[in-house]
Order: sequence, then C-alpha cells, then structure tokens
Amino acid sequence: MLAWLESTSIAVWLGESPSVWAMPTVLTLHTTGMAVLVGASWLLDLRLLGLNKNVPLSNYRWVFSAVAIGLLVNLITGVLLFMKNATSWGTAFPFLVKMLFVVASTATILPIRKYVLNSSVGRDEVTSNLRLLAIASIVAWSAAVTAGRLLAYLVV
Amino acid sequence: MDSVFVLNAAHLHLVLNHVPTLGTAVALALLLLALIRRQETLVHVGLEVLFVIAIVTMPVYVTGAAAYAHLRSGAGFSDIAARMHQDAALTGFAVTEFAGFVAWVALWQSRRIGHAGRGLVAAATVLSLIALAIMGRAATLGGEIHHPEIRAAAAAAAAPVTTTDGGEGADIADQFVAGRISQYMVNSTWAWPAAETIHFLGLSLSLGMLLAINLRLLGVMPQVAFADMHRLLPWAMLGFGANLITGMLFFVGQPGQYVDSAPFHWKVIFLLIAGANFLYLTVFKKAWETDGNDARFADKVMAVSSIAAWLIVLVAGRMLPFLGNAF
Repeated sequence: MLAWLESTSIAVWLGESPSVWAMPTVLTLHTTGMAVLVGASWLLDLRLLGLNKNVPLSNYRWVFSAVAIGLLVNLITGVLLFMKNATSWGTAFPFLVKMLFVVASTATILPIRKYVLNSSVGRDEVTSNLRLLAIASIVAWSAAVTAGRLLAYLVV
Repeated sequence: MDSVFVLNAAHLHLVLNHVPTLGTAVALALLLLALIRRQETLVHVGLEVLFVIAIVTMPVYVTGAAAYAHLRSGAGFSDIAARMHQDAALTGFAVTEFAGFVAWVALWQSRRIGHAGRGLVAAATVLSLIALAIMGRAATLGGEIHHPEIRAAAAAAAAPVTTTDGGEGADIADQFVAGRISQYMVNSTWAWPAAETIHFLGLSLSLGMLLAINLRLLGVMPQVAFADMHRLLPWAMLGFGANLITGMLFFVGQPGQYVDSAPFHWKVIFLLIAGANFLYLTVFKKAWETDGNDARFADKVMAVSSIAAWLIVLVAGRMLPFLGNAF
C-alpha cells in the first residue's frame, strides 16, 4: 500500500520534477498553511487565556475561517507530501506523533468553535474547561510543528 | 542561482558599513539631548532611530559575510584580520539588536501610556553606547583588512592566534566566536533541527498576530479598538525575536548556503520592509486613532503591504533549499 502510493504518477512527479511548481510550491503552501492555521489558533487560545479579555469573543469568529483554510491547504499538500515519502514516513515515529497531535489539536478547536459561535456580548465568560482546551491547543500545535520539523531533518 | 546582488557584496558592505556606527551615534546623541532638554518627542525620535538602525544592521552583517566569502582567497587578504572583524561585528550586531528591542518595548509602552518608561530609555541609552563602542572596534578592525599600512597593529593583536595543530586555515575557525557557532550548528545532531523547530513556531506566532492586526485595519472585526490590536504586538515581537536569533544561528552556522542565494537576498530585503511596517504599527498615531471605525486608506495600504511582505519573507525562506542551496 505504502509502496503503491509512492509509485503513483503524482508522487513520482512531486519527487522528481525540477519544476518550481512541484516540491518548492507544495512545501511553501504547507508552511504558509501551517503559519495561518497555528497562528490563528494561538491568537484565539491566548484570548481564552486572558489576552485582551475586554474584546468580545464574537469578534474572533473570523479565526475559524482562517483555521479552515489553513487546514484544507495543509490536508491537500500534506497528503501529496506523504505520498512522495510513503514508505519511509509511513512507519516513522515522528510522523505518527505528528498525525496524533494534528488530530488532537484539531479536536480542541471544535468545542472552542461551538462556544465562540454561540457567544454574544455580555455572555462570553471563559470557563475553566475552555481554558484547559486553550492550553491543550497551544501545546498540541507546538508538538505537531515540532514533530513535523524533526520529520524533515531526522527521517530520510 | 545567480543574483545581481552577489557581484556587489563587498561594495554593498562598504556602502552600508557606516550605518551601525553613525546611526547608533545619532540615536545616542538624540537620547542624550532628550535627557538634557527633557523632551519626550526627542526620546521618541531617538528610540525610533535606534530601532531602524537595529533592522538595517542585519544587511550590514550579511553583506560583510558575503564579502568575506568572495574575498578570502584573494591575494593580500588577511584571513585573521577578517575573522577578528567578523567576531567584533557579530558581538556588535547582537548588542545592537538587543538595544533595538529595548527601544521597541519603550516605543510600544509609550503609545499605550503616553510616555516611555525611564528605566527602558536609560537601558536603551546605555545599550546604544555599548553597541557604538563594539561597532567602532569592528569598524576599525574592518578597515585593517584591506589597508596593510595600518595592519601592523592587527598583526600584533593577532599574535596569540595560532593554529592548534599546525594545520592551515580551517583550524583557526575554533578560535573565533563565529567559527565556534558554525562548528556547533553543523556538528551537533540536534542544534539545527531544534533551531528550525523554534523558527517555525516563531513564524506561526508572528504571522498569526500580524494577520489579526492587519485584518483589523482592513475591516475585519470593525468593533475592536486598535488599542486592543496593539496589545498583540509584543507576541508578534516574541516570534520575530525568536526567528531573528535562530535565523542568525543558521546564517552564522552555514554562511555559504546564504550569501549567494537569491531567495535569501529577497528575504532580507522584505524583512526590512516588514520591519518598517512593524514600527509603523507600533507608533503611528493615525492608525492608533481608528478606534471603533474604519481605518484610513493609507493604513489599509500599509496593512496589505505588511501581509505581503511577511508572506514574501516566508516564501523566500521556504525557497532557500530549492532556488538557493540551503538545507
């Protein structure tokens, strides 16, 4: 299965094409997606932890659009990158850890999103559960980014 | 990849290299004058000059390393004199960046409470004095590289610097700060990946915060006061600071990967633009006054250019391994 993924024409193209639209563009999109996704998540997490407490949560709704765009871009580019390296990444510890933390961080967003979308002016006290979710989100995204970087440098 | 800037690395360095010393001297003079005259406006100008100098010192260091890479094998070029100059420049660069950071904190605080804290201004003044002293020494040592008539002094000072095991050239690297940083970054299994990890976390933090601030100027979250967006700037600065430090570790670690790389040149150029934008967001009164209503057209142009500049910095950085030769 992993070997088959790596032999598909798109994986071979990505790995071998000298074009700037192959690896350079896919990696750049993946990095930009990460920055938007992680940065926007952290912005909201920090708000839940008390940064700019006086700003109503409803002003942060755009964050979920940014997160959704970042997630979509990184899902597509991430699948492409995985296909290119399927046999080595498929069994690599940093890759499995990265996937675990990506899923965990995305999972923290859902309850936060539900709360923020239902919030309105005067009804947005942050509960301690929400604060814990915010901390989990910050930690999990950091771990996912770390595992991703180590994957690039330690797994050949 | 060839780049128009490569041909002129040494020239560019000669053009730029007076900026850190003269600029810091101007900033110091303004801050001292402000102290005597007790004028808040002068304090602001002095701090702003210091911040700008801290940003412009980046290409000065980078072009110096590029000039060294191109000239080191030339006849009449003193490797030891160049390395002594580089070490002094690296130390001066670090102190200048720290002075610029303190100046920025003072400016940020000043925008919030109307005046800069005395302690911060004093710290910025002292740091600019130290930076000036070290940069002055770097400038003197730099002049000795290609002026043999004044190199006698350098040779005397360099006398204790000898190769440890009778080898040539490469062995003297570990007697210099820049050389030791380079050896550590290249030989350690973890140093480079760890710095890369911090670089990416810093990137996310900076981009997230600056995206929010600039989107506010462009009309997203119109009810939020700009003062509240301004509150996010220190977090952007935290990410930027982490990336300046890790970025310089890469550069000092493997200068050969960057000095001739076109994407790296673009990255530095757009960092200057992004830095100017950052200062604008920190101090500008007009942007500050757009509380609870629409930002001015000029501010929107600024916001678009800020997002574009940061994205180009990111893209150019990501292209380093492909269009340049970095890993």
